[in-house]
Amino acid sequence: MSHRITPIDHPVTFEIDGESITGQDGDTIAVAFVAAGRTTLSRSIKYHRPRGPFCLSGGCSHCLVRVDGVPNQPSCQVDIKPGMRVERQNAFPDASVDVLQATDLVFSKWFNHHEFLAGVPLIEKVMLQVARKLAGLGLLPEKPAPTREPPVVESVGVAIVGGGAAGLSAARRLTERNVAFTLFERDRSCGGRLLHGCDEGAPAVVVPSGTSIRTGATVVGVFSDDHKPFLAVVQHQRLHFVFYERLLLANGGQPTLLTFPNNDLPGVFASRAVSRMIRKHGVLPGARIAVVGDGDEAKSLAKLIGANGGTAVAVGAEPLRAHGVRSVQALTVSLQGRIEKVDCDAVALCAPVSPAFELARAAGARVGWDSRSHLFTVETDAAGKSADTVWVAGELRGPMSAAAATEQGLVAAESIASAIKGATP
Amino acid sequence: MSKALLCCCEDVTASEVEHAIEKGYRDIESVKRFTGFGTGMCQGKQCLTAVARLLESKAKTKPSQLMPFTPRPPLFPTELSLWASASFDPAVAPGGGVPESIGLTENALKPEAPVPSKAKIVIIGGGILGLSLAWNLAQRGETDIVVLEKGYLCAGASGRNGGGVRMQWGTPTLITLAQRSIELMKRFARDMGINVWFRQGGYLFLAKSEAVVSKLERAAQLHNKHGVPTQILTPDAAREVVPELTMTGVKAAAWNPLDGVIFPWPFLWGYATAAQKKGVKVETFTKVIGFEQSQHRIKKVITDRGDIECETVVLAGGAWSPAIAALAGVDLPNEPHRHEICSTEPLKPFLGPLVSVLDSGLYFSQSMRGEIVGGMGDAREPAGMNLGSTQRFLTRYSQALTEQMPQVGRVKILRQWSGPYDVTPDNSPILGRTPGLPNLIQLSGFVGHGFMMAPAVTERMAAWMATNESDELFERFTLSRFEEGRMEREDMIIG
Repeated sequence: MSHRITPIDHPVTFEIDGESITGQDGDTIAVAFVAAGRTTLSRSIKYHRPRGPFCLSGGCSHCLVRVDGVPNQPSCQVDIKPGMRVERQNAFPDASVDVLQATDLVFSKWFNHHEFLAGVPLIEKVMLQVARKLAGLGLLPEKPAPTREPPVVESVGVAIVGGGAAGLSAARRLTERNVAFTLFERDRSCGGRLLHGCDEGAPAVVVPSGTSIRTGATVVGVFSDDHKPFLAVVQHQRLHFVFYERLLLANGGQPTLLTFPNNDLPGVFASRAVSRMIRKHGVLPGARIAVVGDGDEAKSLAKLIGANGGTAVAVGAEPLRAHGVRSVQALTVSLQGRIEKVDCDAVALCAPVSPAFELARAAGARVGWDSRSHLFTVETDAAGKSADTVWVAGELRGPMSAAAATEQGLVAAESIASAIKGATP
Repeated sequence: MSKALLCCCEDVTASEVEHAIEKGYRDIESVKRFTGFGTGMCQGKQCLTAVARLLESKAKTKPSQLMPFTPRPPLFPTELSLWASASFDPAVAPGGGVPESIGLTENALKPEAPVPSKAKIVIIGGGILGLSLAWNLAQRGETDIVVLEKGYLCAGASGRNGGGVRMQWGTPTLITLAQRSIELMKRFARDMGINVWFRQGGYLFLAKSEAVVSKLERAAQLHNKHGVPTQILTPDAAREVVPELTMTGVKAAAWNPLDGVIFPWPFLWGYATAAQKKGVKVETFTKVIGFEQSQHRIKKVITDRGDIECETVVLAGGAWSPAIAALAGVDLPNEPHRHEICSTEPLKPFLGPLVSVLDSGLYFSQSMRGEIVGGMGDAREPAGMNLGSTQRFLTRYSQALTEQMPQVGRVKILRQWSGPYDVTPDNSPILGRTPGLPNLIQLSGFVGHGFMMAPAVTERMAAWMATNESDELFERFTLSRFEEGRMEREDMIIG
């Protein structure tokens, strides 16, 4: 059972499917939900499998809910507010008991939608109607959107995307070199895994003062209309179009799933989601947490869990199968050649994040398969330059420690500073 | 049950990807289209790595062949109302777009074995036209066919369109072809054993100017004459068809409930798989680099995997056709024009028909998966092969869509992409024999509607090729008509 390490001192009460839940001010819906000991936050699109939060970084679909009449909101990115109306989606009669989960039993391995009942007269028509009924996720929004302010159009010399280890160190170095820049960070505070990871050797968070650092600013795209590159950024429900001369991408990666049966059960989290809940929100997502996968990260996360009153089990083991009906209750693992079933009420999957190369690719960088880490990584030179005006630092280039990402940020910033000097007559 | 999930947004399991591998798919783009992985709310953030790892271990795909699918903006789902808040200059032609071409070497995916050295018929282009022609010829017993496709199946316009299928056209030829196509689509699953999810939700055309109203009225008369039940509706009656629509500026609507939407990808595989079962060879990741000719005939098609000696060549390369024809010294008047398109988050079904404002080129429908898929032609789009995506498009489309249907303002755009229209001077296709090179048969120039015309056109082309009986389709719509000044004008083009 999950519990709060630090008790609630600023309570906020909101509503999920008509039921009140109280969380701490600053919680997201997903965190408050987990802290309240709840498990099923959504039902999956096809098989109606129960799902709970997984990545807590807005990079998966496990925690989508309807918030105040707007469908498919990532509940890990929405702060709770008093009286907020949250509804779980895609379930009949409700998300806790969803009879449509029968599809999960009928199609025990997978559903071959290409060939299933193809061309069977009459049944074909019924199938089309049933499929149409079951399709989609949320219901149409209740109301039209409020009037939006027109975008802010701006120009910057250097744009940095991501305020984690690499982005912050680059910002510090550019400040030292008197190079103007603007940094965009999606979270409400900079720091990334320095702030809520479990990397023990991680440097402290140092945010250079007096500089242009924007938090709560989500870069949603690199565009190149008329061959002039710019970022599209959403901040406070308003678009900003930021034209840049040079771009440093340090936006890290997204947790990826490890493949084993029932890997999507509520209670299975990405390792960084677990450390984020502990360090940022003071919430322990389970009493016995199986910490499986990548060795070093598993060890340090296990320490963090232990230090906060939880028990870490199966540390560094290979996950083979998760057990449980509505949430994870046990995990079969392989540990040093032994296969065993361990009881647990949460699982943390430790694995290097998948580089979030989308912006880099749109900005003209090359992306290739790295057969050592088995990840798609952004290709760069030693200084982190990956295209004409584009530099890349940190986990976009592959798995690395926070210290190594910090170093890459410094090197890339140095390279940008000298490129600017070289270009100035 | 105990599924191992790879893509949680679309509920794609490891078993399903393994099935795709067994079917012979080895590259990420093909597996994506076959299984649907990576097309949901997260757009591959959670699953792409896991699928690539499975391909690496199970399909033995080499590292150089593992390329991520092209990431599509936006990086995170972003509301239509936000894109609509920007502005654009309608007087300026659009340019640029992402991703800019960076020379990713698809060559890595080229099969090592050479192509067959001989075939009776070589079809260039593995889009819907080429594949459905191959299947129709095979149905008639002609199976000594090689289809050449430079990318993966669905890489071109056939895999990039919105899947709209309509009988509402402006000329008798297209009306009757579309009627036949729809008949064939309705029995496609029976003929091919693969679901294409063809749904007849109708097409609702809206007209905002008197000129477009009279165009719709004229067309409706013609439709009725050919047995298409198109009705002209008042704006109020049109709102009964789609209650969420505002009728701002709308003067009239045209409504045919028999039009519909089909899922493009399985439509292609259906033809490809059925043709292959009959012995047709479909060679993907294979580029045509030249032709060997003598005495006004093509003797060999030269590819980057060897030469193919052949009797007949069919050019079905869509918007890429002019560049290929040029290799044979043939000048085609077609020009590629980029058309941008986008898809929203999946919503529970609420929108029955495909809605189009003929004045502006806006069109949108709800796919079988629940996404609102739509686009909007840009009259200022310059000719040229550009498959980039722009912010300008998102803004134009979002403004037009939210004006017509304000309730979608907070619906989020998941991804945008583009495909080329294959535009001819009179908006009609180029079909039949090439003047001076009679064993080169043209099958291109469909101006964005080749996808829906393919089943009917290629059924007739196969009959014409197999029997040599004359068919006016392949005499009227020839390449020579442009020199002879016989234009075949079609004006019911969206965008």
